[in-house]
Amino acid sequence: MLVAAQAHKRASRAAAHRVDAAAAHDYSCSRTATSARMNAKLIRELERRLGRDSVLSQREDLLLYEYDGSVEVARPECVVFPRETRDVADIVRLANQYETPIVGRGAGTGLSGGALARDGGIVIGFSRMNRILEVDAENQRAVVQPGVVNLDLTRAVEHLGLYFAPDPSSQKSCTIGGNVSENAGGPHTLASGVTANHVTGLEIVLPEGRVVRIGGKTTETPGYDLTGLLVGSEGTLAIVTEITVRLTRKPEAVKTLLAVYEAVDDATESVVEITCRGITPAACEMLDGWTLRTVEDFVHAGFPRDSAAVLLLEVEGLAEAVEEQAAEISAVCLEKRAREVRVARDDRERDLLWKGRKNAFGAIGRLSPSYYVQDGVIPRTKLPQTLRRIEEIGRKYSFRIGNIFHAGDGNLHPLILFDPRHPGEFERVVAASGEIIAHCIEMGGALTGEHGVGMEKNELMPLMFTPGDLALMRRVRDAFNPTGRLNPKKMFPLGKGCGEVRVQPMPVSSSLPA
Amino acid sequence: MSSMAEASLARLERIAGPAAILGDAALLAAYDVDGARPAAAVRPADAATVAEIVRFADAENLALIACGARTKLGIGAAPSRYDVALDLSRMNRILAYDPGDLTLGVEPGITLADLRRALAEHGQFLPLESPFASSATVGGTIAANAISPLRQAFGGPRDFVLGMEFVTGAGEAAKGGGRVVKNVTGYDLHKLLIGSLGTLAVITRVNFRTFPLPAEERAFLAAFPGSESALSFCRAIVHSPLEPRRVEALDAAAMGLLGLAPAEAASAEDIWCVLVDVAGTSGIVARHERDLERLARHAGAKQFSALEAADREKHLARALEFPRYATERSPEAVLVRIAALPAAMPALAAESRRIARSNALESALLLPAGGFAYLALSPREPGAGALGSLANALSEFFKTISGSALHARAMVESCPAELKRKISLWGPPRGDFELMQRVKETFDPRDVLSPGRFCGGI
Repeated sequence: MLVAAQAHKRASRAAAHRVDAAAAHDYSCSRTATSARMNAKLIRELERRLGRDSVLSQREDLLLYEYDGSVEVARPECVVFPRETRDVADIVRLANQYETPIVGRGAGTGLSGGALARDGGIVIGFSRMNRILEVDAENQRAVVQPGVVNLDLTRAVEHLGLYFAPDPSSQKSCTIGGNVSENAGGPHTLASGVTANHVTGLEIVLPEGRVVRIGGKTTETPGYDLTGLLVGSEGTLAIVTEITVRLTRKPEAVKTLLAVYEAVDDATESVVEITCRGITPAACEMLDGWTLRTVEDFVHAGFPRDSAAVLLLEVEGLAEAVEEQAAEISAVCLEKRAREVRVARDDRERDLLWKGRKNAFGAIGRLSPSYYVQDGVIPRTKLPQTLRRIEEIGRKYSFRIGNIFHAGDGNLHPLILFDPRHPGEFERVVAASGEIIAHCIEMGGALTGEHGVGMEKNELMPLMFTPGDLALMRRVRDAFNPTGRLNPKKMFPLGKGCGEVRVQPMPVSSSLPA
Repeated sequence: MSSMAEASLARLERIAGPAAILGDAALLAAYDVDGARPAAAVRPADAATVAEIVRFADAENLALIACGARTKLGIGAAPSRYDVALDLSRMNRILAYDPGDLTLGVEPGITLADLRRALAEHGQFLPLESPFASSATVGGTIAANAISPLRQAFGGPRDFVLGMEFVTGAGEAAKGGGRVVKNVTGYDLHKLLIGSLGTLAVITRVNFRTFPLPAEERAFLAAFPGSESALSFCRAIVHSPLEPRRVEALDAAAMGLLGLAPAEAASAEDIWCVLVDVAGTSGIVARHERDLERLARHAGAKQFSALEAADREKHLARALEFPRYATERSPEAVLVRIAALPAAMPALAAESRRIARSNALESALLLPAGGFAYLALSPREPGAGALGSLANALSEFFKTISGSALHARAMVESCPAELKRKISLWGPPRGDFELMQRVKETFDPRDVLSPGRFCGGI
């Protein structure tokens, strides 16, 4: 599996390299020749301050940090590994002295290039700041360093009957710092919300090197909700060095259902009906026929190979509620022509179904030289027509588009399969993907549901936000990060002459339905 | 009363239209904030007019205070300047409601009561509740971040507001968030407006996610011989698999203030009551009843009973109105809003009572939702020394909570205007205050919106 995934990764990197070369002139726009190569003196100072084993600056060492989970690529000039907040503050002060960009990085699993040093400079790797500082079971809080792996926190508190609710597919490796930066989601955000709903306080290092605490352990603090602003700010406002999270009580009962369909429309209509009836499952995931067959061949999760779509649904809570909801959901699915609705009989069956969902991307990587994942959101009631539209777009561009996504909250993940060795194919992928996103926005949706904007969708921001909205957001960024040294060239369109405009912005009517 | 030049008033009238109130002191009295009276009140009907009014105020160096039903204008410090009341009550439309998608977009002036009726027609509701329930508006409730007792079950506005449109202090229309239930595009600017008391921007639209109304509802009232046992019952609920909608603990004084004291408990000073509301299908309600009674008895309840439908309504409505009861009982009443960790609540309750007693004050405590508490203080006897006692008690209270392991934060939500000039309503300044100033400067660089009303004089 690992080999397959890496092979896919290499291929997609090759594609990304070409795109990168084409846009190479962009990178020289703001960082001029004078600052292009990092001062050897800065590296020596970083080594002196943090120890030589905490600084990477050799070309072969840096290669690993050119990538994250996206198709983007950008090389830092050095990578440093702080152990505590003080180290981070010192790194930031040194970076200021040498006018060098700084980008935070957790596990590098992000899908929008958030952890890439688009403008070169210093990448701060948080892998050594990975301690759980406090577990307060009584008040259902934990205080963690940003490098703590998402699933490790759940493992550390499950004996107390608690868990950390955000569960991105990469939860075995992604870090809570990264989750905070991107406001990460996951299948179970349908009922429990994204990362922002589970963070009550942060310790941050401001771009001038000052350490500030915002929020706290209490549900809220008087004053502006700076924590709410910081979560999801993609490393452009401050560097997070400590996170206070809410822990959730494990439900008394869980039931996992698999509804199997002969037609994609029946599956999407089931989702609409479940939503309309006010049933909120803990998770409601959909896989289309091609995707489920690909996954099944790899994971053997038990998805029927001859079906056109499956819904993976989960309900949790009080035993009585779970029984009732599961029955209600089954009835809706059958009413909408599900061929069958299976209920996982035990934890093993449940885990297997989820293994199928969470390893899907790896499975697809075995088949296709490369793929591109979108993250658009639509109102849930628009699912049937949207999936039909995606199919049309696939036909128009002659791409296979697989669909595996968070159907319950309308968060699409169309996977466009392509071969980067074919000239011009990546550009066509970008065009097809742009059409999908434009459709999402036309439906009244959003550019990204959980992956973030980063350097992947920054040029698409005008699809959703007016120049006035963006100007205010820029001013907010400047209020925290006036020199723009924190994670430069992310989230905001770079504008004419200094950016790659990948699709034509679509006019957005202000009278869109909600 | 603020004075504005005649020419200025005339221009304002041209922008705001005929619904404006200009110079009529009797009518303008309704817009007083801590004794300050505006020179005009304007009542725009749409967001474009709001933007024009704010731009006008910005250009003329006038101070605006946005308001809805004006039930929460007492919250916050006295304004440092106040020229024009920006009354949003005419902006009361539902702009978009998609029941199938459980999403909603409304103007800020719609009342919670009207919205409740509109949503109920489709079997849905918004977990946004506020004191002054019959008149409170969406905009005011969000700007004041009122503690809804439904917070324990549904979270606060931060958790179910999807996005907002607003006009900054520079008169620019902008937005944050979106209209779909999941979205991480751009900065969540709208979250900054929640609880900002109108100091950053004027809210012109709020997008929510809505929730299905439950099939059945039932409330229970348990009486305990003191705070320890009552709060241990609350704690047991939190650590159980139960999912009640509301859990509110009240001391005897709070029950008395609300006119709810159970007969047998009326005289006993240490009686605490816990009000629990549950909802769901009959099976779920029955399960809650069984488990709650067991947990209550185990915690030492002297009494546990289900409330009849009418009684349930009365208890829930009055508990929601606690801030109103607390502030209306005396012109010298003080209401403190506290955010604290559940484990700190018993100590907080004990400390609050001690501080009240040592300053010869009456106190009443209501813990309306997980992690929140209201402390009502009032002088035993009105008189010259009352304000001094209140000021002493508040300063002692802030000292107690900030210096201890209580991890509590508090703000004085309501108090006599005179007292506002003597004390800091938010307690001692915090380390992130300078960041708040930067946010304020970004949204409202020339101090047009509610100047001086937020913490630290923002």
